[in-house]
Amino acid sequence: MVVLNFTLTPEAASKIHDLLVCLGKFGDTVAIEARRERFTFTALNSSKSAYAALTLDGAQFFTHYECIPSQGGPDGRFTCSMYIKALLSVFKSRLYDPLGRDGAIERCEVSVQDRPNEAQCRFIVKMVCNQGVVKTYKLTYEAVDVMHALFDRNVAKNRWSMHSGAMREYIEYFGTKTEMLDIVAGEDGRAVFKSYTEKISNGKEILKHPLVTAVAVNTSDFEEFNVQAGLHIIISVKDFKAIVMHADTLKTSLKAYYSLPTRPLQFSYGCDGLLCEFTLMTSGDYNAAATQTPTPAPQVFSREGSRTQSFNSERTENRSMRSDMPPPTEPASRRTTRRRNPGSRKDSSPKPAAQDPDSLFVGQDEGRDEWEPLDYDKAEETLDWDASADHGSVFPTFRDSGSLSRTETEDSNEALPPTQRVSQIKGLW
Amino acid sequence: MRFKASIQNIHTFTKLTTSLNSLGPLAWVKLSDQQVCFTIIPEQGTQVWAVLQIDTIFDTYTVQSAAGNVINLEVPLTSLTRALKSALNATSAQIRLTKKDNVPLLALTIVTTTSSNHAAFPTGTRNDEDGMENFDNTFGSGNRETIVTQEIPVRVLAPDTVAGLHEPQTREPDVHIMLPPLMQLKSVSDRFTKLALVGAKNGSTATRTRLEMAANMHGCLKMSIKTDAMSISSVWTDLTNPDLDPSHVSGGDIGLAEHPSTRMKQLGSADGRSEEGWATVRIDGRDWGKVMSVGRLGGRVIACFCHEHALILYVFLPSDTAGEESVLTYYVSSYSA
Repeated sequence: MVVLNFTLTPEAASKIHDLLVCLGKFGDTVAIEARRERFTFTALNSSKSAYAALTLDGAQFFTHYECIPSQGGPDGRFTCSMYIKALLSVFKSRLYDPLGRDGAIERCEVSVQDRPNEAQCRFIVKMVCNQGVVKTYKLTYEAVDVMHALFDRNVAKNRWSMHSGAMREYIEYFGTKTEMLDIVAGEDGRAVFKSYTEKISNGKEILKHPLVTAVAVNTSDFEEFNVQAGLHIIISVKDFKAIVMHADTLKTSLKAYYSLPTRPLQFSYGCDGLLCEFTLMTSGDYNAAATQTPTPAPQVFSREGSRTQSFNSERTENRSMRSDMPPPTEPASRRTTRRRNPGSRKDSSPKPAAQDPDSLFVGQDEGRDEWEPLDYDKAEETLDWDASADHGSVFPTFRDSGSLSRTETEDSNEALPPTQRVSQIKGLW
Repeated sequence: MRFKASIQNIHTFTKLTTSLNSLGPLAWVKLSDQQVCFTIIPEQGTQVWAVLQIDTIFDTYTVQSAAGNVINLEVPLTSLTRALKSALNATSAQIRLTKKDNVPLLALTIVTTTSSNHAAFPTGTRNDEDGMENFDNTFGSGNRETIVTQEIPVRVLAPDTVAGLHEPQTREPDVHIMLPPLMQLKSVSDRFTKLALVGAKNGSTATRTRLEMAANMHGCLKMSIKTDAMSISSVWTDLTNPDLDPSHVSGGDIGLAEHPSTRMKQLGSADGRSEEGWATVRIDGRDWGKVMSVGRLGGRVIACFCHEHALILYVFLPSDTAGEESVLTYYVSSYSA
């Protein structure tokens, strides 16, 4: 029997939303590990090339946190796995709204019901909203054994750190659909982030090749830059974008730690009791580290080649004491110890730079532009009677706040939004 | 083969490629000493033949090739637009033709300077013992200079390949008229197209979204749509029919007197109620929506109507300098009744 109860402020609940959005870019499920003094979300992508651990400090992140694992004493833990989509439907965006508009909450209470005398095990989230409305969500979870990727920072001599806001600017330059990111420490006082795609194409196909974008940054613009000159290290640009976007929601500095290509790289950032660590597989030619190669080394970005060693988390406490990097490969049998939902680890690939669909702000999204040709095929496109928004007062505007009586022709409701009295549009049919 | 230029008007260039991109994914770009031509010939739909004066978008422009200093390229517009967008806040942007691994590229080099306030943000996790160093870091790196290189794969077209591409020929137009603000026109045509589709959804036969455009020589423009269920039209009046310049009409003054538009002036009325004097074409509503994308460039648009035959739009880009203007010519695809 486990006791796990915690309470979140609206700000913290909205941070949970942000981190779930980020983790959703790595996998479909998130593993939860609750300990007496901290709570960790972890995710591993389907190719096992990226591992994320986001740790919430029991005392700092929560207004109240209580976790008494059923066994294991002070080192005991409660672990389970859940669908990110299910959690996101509870931790929606805009939970935190200083103006208390729709969707805003006063606090969020979470408890786990996992007792022998109860028929169902549930992860229960109570959203306490304004005017005394309480929304209770009971989510199912799966008991799993949570593993952690180990990363030894002592060996990772190459480090840099930069404010996430600046990083965010750089990733906006990257073309869509690129796959790889080569991080180069140049010898001319510049670091280069180059997004590209490894694809062999010829003839006409060449024009479909995504943009190759190189962003050269003065190393003096980094808060810290301590990388062997000439070193190339290659990671997935999608992962990088997801991490930068999330770090930018916290407005913190993003720190990178790595040693050599083919060895893991870790990004780390955090504030206010939230610590985010992403351990990523890297590729590149580890022999070429010292030589200057303007073009990236041949790819070894294989699906199998995860260099991140996984161990049961009981041993993670020791990681700072370990002096060696984990051995480069991991026996395949080992991975099967991690129980997973069949098929649930499909590599979900939402557009990394996609904007929050619920955002109140009209984004500077390039696609949305009044000069763009309309997409008439969109299913939800309906007649837009309110012409006032875009066109000033050029056109007269119908507005009707009255409720539409549903008894009138159902068919017409499909085509017209209920801002219009049917009586007003008689004559069209 | 050499092409190098600095981009002096990044906003115009971006708007241009964005507008062209709505009609087709690939552009034939012809770079020569005198001008830069962008041509879009989609498999179906409207063709664009744009002739730009070099200084409309470029500055310090060099083009050299064995074929009379003309370079023909096939350029993917989505990539080019994407690349140009990253230069919108640039302090300088250069474009040049280059080769990498035997693949021709347009390389765009963008220098941006961000006076950032990120560094001034308190970084809570930083534990510098030396407070002064922290202070220097905070205020020393106020201006960040970043160099962004965007590489757009292109195809170099041989002179023979493009020799067979010709601008469409049309007869003298019956009516030429200055269009009303395109945003106005676009919102009306978008609405009409939607209405046609609503009719189609409710089970009627028409899935086509044919719009009828008509104009007369008395400043009237009419846009209408007819389906089984409805017939709607909008009429603009008091538009301008620009005078033809006799020096640009074949046959001079005599040619002008015999010009179809002179005859059309005798017919119709300025209130747009007369049945006579209209030159009419039928166009596709969706395609028209893509054409209207050019409105973002904010140029003057003159529409030339050849009755039951063709509609041609001339978009004159605003320019600061007198002399030759940059013109985009749209051959709007049209249908017979």
